Amino acid sequence: MTTNKKDVLWRIYLVYILTCLFCLVIIGKITIIQFVEGEELRTKGRSVTTKIIDIKATRGNIYDCKGSLLATSLPIYEVRMDLNTDALTNEVFDEHIDSLCMRLAEFYPNKSALDYKVELVSARENGARYHLIKRNVRYNDLQILKTFPLFRKGQYKGGFITIRRNKREKPFNMLAHRTIGYDREDVVSVGIEGAYNKELKGVSGSRLMQKIAGGVWKPINDDNEIQPQDGYDILTTIDINIQDVAYEALLRNLERREADHGTVVVMEVATGEIKAIANLSRGETGKYYEKYNYAIGERTDPGSTFKLASVIALLEDGYVEPEDSVDAGNGYHMFYDKPMRDSHKGGHGVISLHQALVYSSNIGIAKLVEEHYGKHPEKFIEQLHNMNLHQKTGIEILGEETPVIIDVNSDDWSGTTLPNMAIGYSTMFSPIQILTLYNAVANGGKMVQPMLVKEIREKTKLVERFETTVLKKQICSSTTIEKVQKMLEDVVADENGTAKILQSAEFKIAGKTGTAWISKNGKFLKGKYRASFAGYFPADNPKYSCIVVVSDPVGYDYYGASVAGPIFKEIANKIFASNMAFYQELAEQDIKANSRIPYSKNGYKKDLLTVFENIGVEPKVDLSANDWVITSTSEEDVTLENRKIINNLVPNVIGMGLMDAVYLLENSGLIIVSEGRGVIKQQSIKPGVESGKNQKIYLKLS
Amino acid sequence: MDAITKYIKGDKVIWFAVLFLCIASVLTVYSSIVTLAYKYRAGDTEYYLFEHGKILILGLGLMYLTHLIPHRYYSRISQIALYLVVPLLLYTLFKGTNLNSADRWLTLPIINKTFQPSEVAKLVLIIYVARVLGRKQDQIKDFKGAFLPIIVPVIIICGLIMPADFSTAAILFATCVILMFIGRINMKYIGIMVGMMAVAVTILVSVIWAMPEDALRDKGRILTWKHRIDNFSSGEEKANWQSEQAKIAIALGGIPGQGPGKSVQRNFLPHPYSDFIYAIVLEEYGLIGGIGIMLLYLIILFRGIKVATLLPNSFGAFLVVGCCYGIVFQALINMAVAVNIFPVTGQTLPLISKGGTSIWFTCIAIGIILSVSREVVNEETNEYVSA
Repeated sequence: MTTNKKDVLWRIYLVYILTCLFCLVIIGKITIIQFVEGEELRTKGRSVTTKIIDIKATRGNIYDCKGSLLATSLPIYEVRMDLNTDALTNEVFDEHIDSLCMRLAEFYPNKSALDYKVELVSARENGARYHLIKRNVRYNDLQILKTFPLFRKGQYKGGFITIRRNKREKPFNMLAHRTIGYDREDVVSVGIEGAYNKELKGVSGSRLMQKIAGGVWKPINDDNEIQPQDGYDILTTIDINIQDVAYEALLRNLERREADHGTVVVMEVATGEIKAIANLSRGETGKYYEKYNYAIGERTDPGSTFKLASVIALLEDGYVEPEDSVDAGNGYHMFYDKPMRDSHKGGHGVISLHQALVYSSNIGIAKLVEEHYGKHPEKFIEQLHNMNLHQKTGIEILGEETPVIIDVNSDDWSGTTLPNMAIGYSTMFSPIQILTLYNAVANGGKMVQPMLVKEIREKTKLVERFETTVLKKQICSSTTIEKVQKMLEDVVADENGTAKILQSAEFKIAGKTGTAWISKNGKFLKGKYRASFAGYFPADNPKYSCIVVVSDPVGYDYYGASVAGPIFKEIANKIFASNMAFYQELAEQDIKANSRIPYSKNGYKKDLLTVFENIGVEPKVDLSANDWVITSTSEEDVTLENRKIINNLVPNVIGMGLMDAVYLLENSGLIIVSEGRGVIKQQSIKPGVESGKNQKIYLKLS
Repeated sequence: MDAITKYIKGDKVIWFAVLFLCIASVLTVYSSIVTLAYKYRAGDTEYYLFEHGKILILGLGLMYLTHLIPHRYYSRISQIALYLVVPLLLYTLFKGTNLNSADRWLTLPIINKTFQPSEVAKLVLIIYVARVLGRKQDQIKDFKGAFLPIIVPVIIICGLIMPADFSTAAILFATCVILMFIGRINMKYIGIMVGMMAVAVTILVSVIWAMPEDALRDKGRILTWKHRIDNFSSGEEKANWQSEQAKIAIALGGIPGQGPGKSVQRNFLPHPYSDFIYAIVLEEYGLIGGIGIMLLYLIILFRGIKVATLLPNSFGAFLVVGCCYGIVFQALINMAVAVNIFPVTGQTLPLISKGGTSIWFTCIAIGIILSVSREVVNEETNEYVSA
C-alpha cells in the first residue's frame, strides 16, 4: 500500500511541476511580447486605435446688402449601409430586406425593389460594411430614410450609416452666380467666395477619436477637442432686387439678340458699392449661364464710351471748349495711311465738340485729339493718368487686369495710335474700369473704388466694415465735370443724340453709347460688334451708374444705343420705380404722433374694430365703409372710411400693414417685393391701374 | 471568525483565492464589456455589471451548497448523471442553439437561458473517472478491470462534445488521461490509446485539409477549426488579426499595466470579456496582474494537491486532482491563447470570463474540492491533518 501511495505521489508532483513549467512558458511569452516585440506593437496599437480628425467649421454665409441669403452652407448626407454588422443576423436581414427595398424603390424610383434587393444581398455576401445607398441626401429626406425597416434600428443594429457634409447652396441660383463665386478643392476659388475664403472658411477644429468595434470612431474625451470656429458672414453690397432686375433684363435681351455674351454692372455713385453684377454667356444649346465674370475679367477695346476720356482731356487741358467746332467732313478721313469712318451716312460736316460727342463722331473726336496732342501724345497719356485710367480699380475679387495704354515710346506706338485711342481703340479696358470713370463723372469728379463687400460679421457681431476707397479725389476740374455731364445728358436728351431712345418722362439718364468692332489677337473680326452703354441716372442728381455690354449680337442691329440702351433703360426704370421715386415723396409723410388715440394702419375693417374695441376706443365708422377701410386719426377720435377695392385693378394699399397688403395684392395676381418695415408708404404701381398677372409690385414700408 | 468557521467549511485559502478571482472578474468584465454595451445596450455598461454580478453570486451560492455535501455522495451522483448526460449531449448536438456558429448551447426551458451541456458533462466525467480509479485500485493495471471501464465513457463523452467544441473535448480528454496516469493505470494502455488518438486526429485533420471549403460549409465548426489552424500556422498578419490585437494589448500593458478601465484594445478584440480576457488583464493590470491571476489558479491547484496527497489512492484524492486540473488546464489554455502560444480555441478563463455556465460549473468544481478538503483540514487553524 505504501509503494502504491508513493507511486501516486510522484505522479501528482510530476504533473504539478509540468504545470508550473507551462506557467513559466506563458510568463516567458508575455515578457517576450512586452519587451522584445513591445515597441513595434505599441506603435502599431497607437496608430490604429486613435487618430486626430478635423472637424470642419461651418462656412459663413454671404448676404446681399439687405440681408437676403446669397450663399449658405446646408448639411447634406451620404447614406451607407453596414451589411455585416454583428446584430444583423440572417433572420433579421431576411425578415426586413424586402420591405426595406420596397420603401427604397418608392423613395428613389431610379431602381426597382428587386434591383435594390439583388444589390444589397450580394453586397452582404461580399462582406460589405460600407455599402453606398445614396449620395447628396438632404436633411428632410434623411429623416424619412431613418424610418425605413432596418435603417430605423440605427447603425449597430441596422447598419445605417450617415456621413454629414456641408453643401454650398445659392438660394437665388444664377443671380450673381459668378460674382458670388465658389470655393472648391483643387481649383482656384473665384468671386467673393474666393476673395474672402479665409474669412468665410473659419478655423477647423480637431478631435482625438478612438476606433471601437465595427470600425466606428468615437471621441475619446472632451478635453482633447478643439472646437471649430465657424466662418464669418459676408455682407455684400449687392441688392438682390436690383440684381434680379439686371439679370432679367440682360437675359431677355441676350436671348432676343442671340448674342454671345453680355454683362451688366450697377454701381452706387457716391459709394462705389456694386448693387448688381450680371454676366451671361451663351451655352451650346442657346441657354445662357453665368460662366465668366466678363465685367471684371474681359479686357477689350472699349470703343466710343472711351470718347468721354478724350473729351475730358481736351477740356481739362483747355485746348477746346464744347462749342468749338471741328470739321467732321463727309464721314471719311485718312489718318496717315488708315481711313476712319463715321457711321452717320454722309458725315456730320462742321460740328461742335459737344455735338461730336453727342453724335459720337469718330472723325470729330479723333481730329481734335490729333490736332492738339499730335505733337505731344504723352500729354494725352498724362491726362489719362490723371483720370487714374492706367490702373486697376482694385475690386476685391480675382480676375481684374491692368488696362492697356500704349506707351508713347514703345514700338507699338504709331502715327495712327493716338487718333485710334481717342475713339476707344488701341487700348484695353474691362467694363468695370470704364464704369468707374463714368461713376467718377457722375460723382462730381471723385473717383471711388468699386466694392462688393460692405461688412464682415461674426453672427450678429461686426468684425470689419469696409469704407469707400477714393481712388482719385478729383479726376479733373469741376468745370470740366459740369461740361461733360451736360454733354452726356444730351447724348440722351438731344433730338439727334445717339441714345435718344433712352429718354424717359420721369427722370433723366446721362451716358454714352459705344459700338466697337470685336478684335481677336489684334485683328478685327468682320461683322462682329460689341454694343455698350455706360452712364448714370438720374442725370440731375446721380444715384446709380451702370454699364451694359453686349458682345456679338446676331443681325444688322448691333449699335450700342439699340442693343445695350434698352437694357440700361429697363434697369434704370425699375430701380427708379422701386427705390428712388420714394425718396422725393417721403417728406410728405408725417406720423400722427402725440394723439390720445393710437395711430392705426389702414386695413381690414373687422380686424380693426376688434382692436379698437379691446383698447376701449369707439371709432366713427363711415356708412359707406365695406371690408377695407382707411383710418384717419385725429386728436379725439378715429374715423374709418371706405377704401374701394375693385377686382382686376391694383388696390391702394398705402397706409396698410404688409399682411393686409399682401392679401389684397396677391388676390389681384401681383407679385410683391417689399422693403422696410411698418406701414406701406409707397407702391410702385399706381392704384386703379389694371393689374397684370405675375406683375411685380414694389412696396416701400417705414 | 467563529461565525465564518461555523458556516464556511473547508480550506480557507481556496475560499480567498476564489474571492480574489471573483473581484478580478468583476473588474475586468466591467471594463471589457464596453463594446458589447455600446452594441446592444446603448452604452449601458451597468446592465452587464449587474448581470455578471448576479451570475457570480449565484455561483458562490452553488459553491457553498456543494461544499456542504460530503464528497462521497458525488461518486454515486456521477454514475447516474453520466447516463443522463449522454442524451443531453446528443440533443444539443442536433438541436442546440447556435452561438458563434458553435452548437454547444442549449436553451433551458422556463428560464430561457442558454447553457452549455458540455460543462456538465465535463464535471460528471471527471467525477466518474475519479470514482472508477478509486474503486479499481486493486486491479488498476488490468486492461479489462480498470482501463476499459474508464476509457469507454471518456471516449463516448469526448466524442459527443468534439463536433461542436473540439478544444473542450481535447482538454477534457487530456485531463482524464492525466487522471488515469496519476491513478496508476497501466502506462502501456495509455500510451497505445494516446498514440491511436494522435493517428486518428492526424487523419481527420488531413482529410479536412484536402476537402474543398464548400463541402465543409454545413459541417458545423469544421471550417472554423480549419481557418484557425490555417491562420495560426501561416502566421499571416491579416489572418492573425485577433492574436495581433491581443499582443498589442499585452505590449501596451507593460509591467504595471494601464490601470483599471483604461484598456484600448478591448475595442478591437472580438471577445474581450471571454476568450481574450487575459489579454485585457495584462493590458490593464500589466505583468504583475497577469502573474497574480495565474498564481491564484496555482494556489487552488497547490492546495488541492495537498489535499490529494493526504488521501492517497482514494476517490477523494482523484476527485480533487481531477477538479483542479479541469479548472487549471482550461485557465492555462486560455492564457496560452491570449499570449499567442496556442491558436484561438474559444476557451474561457474559469471564474473570470463572463458567462453563466462556465462560472457556475467552475464554482461547483471548487465546491467539490472544498468538500474533500473538509476531510483533512483543521477548521480552527486551517492546517491539514492526515485523515
